[in-house]
Amino acid sequence: MSETAKKIKTFDQKDWVKENLSYHKDSGSWAWIYHRITGLALMGYLFLHIYSLSTLTSGKEAFEAKMKTFLSPPLLALEWLLFVFVLFHSLNGIRVVLVDWADGAKYHKALYRYSWIIGIILFLAMGFVMFSHEIFKLFGK
Amino acid sequence: MKVTLSILRFDPEKDEKPYRKDYEIDVDPSFRILDCLDKVKWDIDGGLAYRRSCSHGICGSDAMMINGKNMLACQVLVHDFKNKYIKIDPIPSLPIIKDLIVDMESFFAKYDVVKPYLIAKSQPPAKERYQSIEDRAVIDEAVNCILCGACSASCPSLWTNDSYLGPAAMLKAYRFVFDSRDDAANERLDVVDSPDGLWRCHTIFNCVEVCPKEINITWHLSQLKKKCAMREF
Repeated sequence: MSETAKKIKTFDQKDWVKENLSYHKDSGSWAWIYHRITGLALMGYLFLHIYSLSTLTSGKEAFEAKMKTFLSPPLLALEWLLFVFVLFHSLNGIRVVLVDWADGAKYHKALYRYSWIIGIILFLAMGFVMFSHEIFKLFGK
Repeated sequence: MKVTLSILRFDPEKDEKPYRKDYEIDVDPSFRILDCLDKVKWDIDGGLAYRRSCSHGICGSDAMMINGKNMLACQVLVHDFKNKYIKIDPIPSLPIIKDLIVDMESFFAKYDVVKPYLIAKSQPPAKERYQSIEDRAVIDEAVNCILCGACSASCPSLWTNDSYLGPAAMLKAYRFVFDSRDDAANERLDVVDSPDGLWRCHTIFNCVEVCPKEINITWHLSQLKKKCAMREF
């Protein structure tokens, strides 16, 4: 605490949780918050991924049976959702690199918008690739 | 027109912790928020404390958090706000001395660390240290800082880490590192090239959003980051 603060009673309003929750947020803050959340979620997924591969140690049949469950539509949908996290984290990662190493700081809001647009396009494209079998079946091709 | 100012009050002699108090006042839509505070202080409650000097966006005294965002009270008008219930708080994270006045000691201690003065190793010429128009253009934006503290107090990295230098101090580092007359760039880069310096900037852009002088602080920090990284090669 500073000399001035020692002489008179002051109120320490420091509370980073409250500050983060109550302070006004613009695109930059949202990008940072989503980047943190998706980063942590992807780290959690990494452990899940390694766990799901652990059947490799109990032979080919066990592994293939496990992989088959991952191809069921609900799990495929979850995997599609995972792609949202991957997309945001990687596209925003590129945005951050451009901000730090190019002149991106001057266009950070446009970069944020572009990453959303590119992300949504790639998300839909991935959905088409993942569910093409179901889509073709639905429209009788 | 009626507006309600909801002001965070704290009197160190009476209060244990701050509390909110509402003041309904009759103002003109073209009033600045600072004029509204003056009206409260002059007509309703003389005990209200806030900093104010030039009241024209030059001195940087009246940075405060208005509706959850740091700004200068003398630079925003009542009609800038759709909702006429306006919340006014001191800028976040710094200790409150009284009402809207915060203790800026830590802010200026960090400012001192980057050596915010010209360090020229050569003898001064008879007339002046000449700087070309092109060389000056490099620091044109950075010299506009008025040290209001709105940027540093809006930085989530600083909220969680007291020792982080913060945007204002590092902007000042840029101002001298990129000054063609200065000879101490390396000394300053040593200070900012640390875990509590540049590398804790996560490009959240809160500082850029609030700067009353519209300085793109994050861009200036990115130039410093590049300069620090290039020193390694």
